[in-house]
Amino acid sequence: MRLAGRFGGAALSLVMVAVLGFFLFRVVPGDPVVSMTRGRPTTAAMQAELRAQFGLDRPLPEQFWNYFTSLLQGDLGTSFTFRRPVADVILERLGPTLLLVGTATLIAVGLGLWLGVRAAWRRDSGFDRVTTGVSLTLWAVPTFWLGMLLMMVTGDLFPSRGMRDTDTAPDFVSQALDVGHHLVLPSVTLVAVVCAEYMLVMRSSLLEEMHAPYLTTARAKGLRDDVVRRRHAVPNAVLPAITLVFLRFGLVVAGAITTETVFSWPGLGLLFYDALTGPDYLLLQGLLVVTAGAVVVMNLLADLLHGVLDPRVKVV
Amino acid sequence: MILKVAIVQQIDSMNPFLAVFQSSTEIGRLMYDYLTAYTAADQTVTEGLANKWEPSPDKLTWTFTVPEGKKWSDGEPITARDVAFTYNLMLSDSVARTANGSFVTNFQDVTAPDDRTVVIRTKTPQVTMLALDVPIVPKHVWEKVSGIKDYANDQMPVVGSGPFVLTEHVAGQFIKLKANKNYWRGAAKFDELHFVYFQNSDAAVQALGKGEVDLVNRMAPAQFDSLDGKAGVTRNKAQGRRFTELMINPGAQTRTGEPIGDGNPALKDVRVRRAIAQAVDLDALVQRVNLGYAEKGSGLVPPVFGKWHWQPTEQEQRRFDPAAANAALDAAGFPRKADGTRFPLRLIGRAGRAYDEQASEYLKRSMGEIGIPLDVRLVSDNQLNEATTAATYDLAFSGWATNIDPDFILSLHTCAQRPGADGKGGTTDAYFCDETYDKLYAQQLSEFDEGKRVEIVKQMQARFYDQVPAVILSYENALEGYRSDHFATFTTQPAQGGVIMAQNGMWGYYGAEPAGRAVQAQGSRWVGLALGGAVIAVLVAVVVVMARRRNATAGERE
Amino acid sequence: MRGVGAVGGFLAGRVDRGGFLAQRAGVAGAAVLAVAALIALLAPLLIPADALDVTRVTDGAWQPPGPGHWLGTDHTGRSVALLMAQGTGTSLFVGLTAAVLAVGIGTLVGILSGHFGGLLAGALLRVTDFFLVLPALVLAIALSTVLPRGLGTIILAIGLTSWPSTARMVRAQTLTIEARPFVERARALGGGHTHVIGRHVLPSVVPLVLVNATLAVASAIVAESTLAFLGLGDPTRISWGAMLHQAQLHGAVPQRAWWFLLPPGLAIVVVVLAFTLVGRALEAVVTPKR
Repeated sequence: MRLAGRFGGAALSLVMVAVLGFFLFRVVPGDPVVSMTRGRPTTAAMQAELRAQFGLDRPLPEQFWNYFTSLLQGDLGTSFTFRRPVADVILERLGPTLLLVGTATLIAVGLGLWLGVRAAWRRDSGFDRVTTGVSLTLWAVPTFWLGMLLMMVTGDLFPSRGMRDTDTAPDFVSQALDVGHHLVLPSVTLVAVVCAEYMLVMRSSLLEEMHAPYLTTARAKGLRDDVVRRRHAVPNAVLPAITLVFLRFGLVVAGAITTETVFSWPGLGLLFYDALTGPDYLLLQGLLVVTAGAVVVMNLLADLLHGVLDPRVKVV
Repeated sequence: MILKVAIVQQIDSMNPFLAVFQSSTEIGRLMYDYLTAYTAADQTVTEGLANKWEPSPDKLTWTFTVPEGKKWSDGEPITARDVAFTYNLMLSDSVARTANGSFVTNFQDVTAPDDRTVVIRTKTPQVTMLALDVPIVPKHVWEKVSGIKDYANDQMPVVGSGPFVLTEHVAGQFIKLKANKNYWRGAAKFDELHFVYFQNSDAAVQALGKGEVDLVNRMAPAQFDSLDGKAGVTRNKAQGRRFTELMINPGAQTRTGEPIGDGNPALKDVRVRRAIAQAVDLDALVQRVNLGYAEKGSGLVPPVFGKWHWQPTEQEQRRFDPAAANAALDAAGFPRKADGTRFPLRLIGRAGRAYDEQASEYLKRSMGEIGIPLDVRLVSDNQLNEATTAATYDLAFSGWATNIDPDFILSLHTCAQRPGADGKGGTTDAYFCDETYDKLYAQQLSEFDEGKRVEIVKQMQARFYDQVPAVILSYENALEGYRSDHFATFTTQPAQGGVIMAQNGMWGYYGAEPAGRAVQAQGSRWVGLALGGAVIAVLVAVVVVMARRRNATAGERE
Repeated sequence: MRGVGAVGGFLAGRVDRGGFLAQRAGVAGAAVLAVAALIALLAPLLIPADALDVTRVTDGAWQPPGPGHWLGTDHTGRSVALLMAQGTGTSLFVGLTAAVLAVGIGTLVGILSGHFGGLLAGALLRVTDFFLVLPALVLAIALSTVLPRGLGTIILAIGLTSWPSTARMVRAQTLTIEARPFVERARALGGGHTHVIGRHVLPSVVPLVLVNATLAVASAIVAESTLAFLGLGDPTRISWGAMLHQAQLHGAVPQRAWWFLLPPGLAIVVVVLAFTLVGRALEAVVTPKR
């Protein structure tokens, strides 16, 4: 019953995302066609033609119906900027984002959880104070500013833009090394901010767990402190922390937007920023639907995963 | 040898019939020649695909000759049939008119009686027949295209007639072109041309400093200054094609004479508009906002197009004079009220455009001094367009890039460009409508004697200046920089003080000459590769350690 | 936009009681905030209007720190130090009002969905969950794109997208309180909705709301700077985020004008950190010891 509810809820959320995406960007005043053709020899007839191409000459309800039915078929409309299906444009930018976000999340989760465990276990120690202090500070740092600083400080060490150079040898090793080189600054930026949050979450999660009576029992059994931590406290505390990591997927998305913008990383975040400057409403709408949809799905997964892993939560 | 160019603007499409962005048009020029071209030296008409042209005595029929020997990049000969095919595609398919439709609206028909001859008949005499900026596409490729709308033109390498051939395009990252060995003017002096996409010009300028790219344009004045004295970098301060204007709502009306929008009625009075123009210190704007990298504005055509450009005479000149402006406003029947103000005005500009953000501060002060409190609103591009289209502005910033032929920029200010009764279908710039101006416009459009046409065009600009539906504030310099340690020279257009990028042609890229000893392979590349390798090694190590820890934990399990 | 759940412990119902250290850090944070508030209040009074008017400044552009302008000058020749002082007010104002808006909406929705059962609660909970999962920054960007530029838009965009965690927390607290015997007794004695909410629920959620608001200010200030950096802020106002936007727009990084890039960012970090520390200290105080 509860499982059905979860799926139903997620489905409803997805529908709401779709509706929100449409109305947010269609009710605004302004004619995208005028923006598109600004500064070029354009006749009124040419503008009308463009309007017809993008279906902007139809009444709003009809536009909504067209939008919704095509959305169900995976069609997000045509981007004003790129003259291509929004779905295609988004798809080809997915790879770079997954690479950046994947690398950063992996490092951030590993590092954040590890630091969180250490800090909580030796609460109020020098280590705890320093890591908590650093994490709280990093939490306060605007991502884009950190990126700009890193760029200014590192000077010529790292490339200033993008994912790869255009004149790198085409063999796999050279390309991989080149991408790795470009990846350093953006992932460090993203890791710094995300890691801080994970560390704090893990720390408080474990602190909570440490009050549990079973730990006292375990210690009374004569188990070494280290073993108690690794085998009893941490596994129980990690679970909620991991769930929270999934729930905070939106944070990573936000971080990706600013990081990619600063480093011209050719992923979805940069696409989002580019769509803003048009503004390319259909592309923005598509990006909103896709990112929000992804977050909804991630949450559903986290929920299900939690139920499977933690016997205390009954999903079915 | 590779020439790497930084671009900041997006590429909308590689399909020349659909591409409307300036950056895409520019790359299109490298891929496809037009029927005629403009010389690099002085921007006069020269050979494109056609090398001869002849109008009929009634100026309604034009005959172009496409000489033998020019080849597409795939080796096929370029013929008159390719030209006729391209124009006819645009005449028959409205989608194919998306980008360049304005050039063919007056066409009756286009035929190719043989492989060498193109005959274009127009509905009315047209002076701009040698300024048809339409990329000509190969018939043998494009006749197989079923729908122009969905054709991305990405069958690499893309068959073209220009100096470069498109070989790879990764959206949001880069575009690669190779020198066209079949190019009829001869192949370029280097092998490859890469356009590298940057999110902002800040990053592009940095990359130029590091030698990651060879050519950057559209720099902000401060960025340009930051490159002063940088080793290996040469700066190019060029006369640009752009002007910035301050529009003054002259009492906007539709084509049918219905009032539209909500502009302040005081601005209908030409004396008020003149007073406002007189209170704007153009020199200060050029010095403080453009940091000197601009020329003071006057007529609609920038000085880079020498012969068409107009400067007011001593008598016509409106000097910066707040006292005279105050007196003029008093005389026009707008005395200062008790609080010292006359009437408030709104100024609308674009947020994020550095010029608007700063110039609005100056205007606020200038207008304050003649008793006009200014309410500045900086909005998004879209909202700005909405306000100017609906005429819901008093003052507004705007700007245009002009072409060699002034027809288009002049046409924007004719009565017919105003919207229809429903407020739609207008392409007017500043809601100007003036009988004298319109008469002159029609005259120049059928004046085939260039000397006489230049005179009429200048009269039009003088009339525009006198009636002030907009104040031309400045002609910005195009600020460019290049790695002179990689490329010794670039061909500018025009030869004196001209631009390298954003030309009316492809000369800048085509004429680039590599420096004698190419030092492009930098030593720092090794450092980069080592760092990249180190990062990957660390990633692998982290994964291995995590996996091992897991195993260790499993082993201790009771 | 950052969730406040990480720095506080509530979202997952977790509590970190901080202890003495957190209290001391809280006091330090409060002191920083007092100074910031003082600067924000005094700046408009003490800075001569001419000093920040780009049409009247006399200093050269991009001057490094030195006499007369001890944090250097920006691209127009204005003193960065004065801009910083002037920007304090805007950044604090946006942070505070957006947080109040967010926490206000959150509290209202939380109490309503906790107190009233049935369809209304179900719908509110659904909406809360919906907004909770949406990436707040994406939504805030979308809102600021379609609405006219200005402080109001920024505040609205941040406020409207960051209330759900407060709503969740207030709802949980409301449910807990209403299950207590004394509330049931009050109901039995004929206390209406207003009585129960006003006399029992509200007083018990106020401390938590206060803590949440403090942390929300921190997150709102970062959000404001991000929106301003992306060019969605109010360009006619000076704020720390707007300064960073200007720094990027006019080429501070290639100019190596660290004096225009460092101070606004550091100010954001310090103030946000101060709000966070105060929030954590408050949390330690209001959370009942177990």
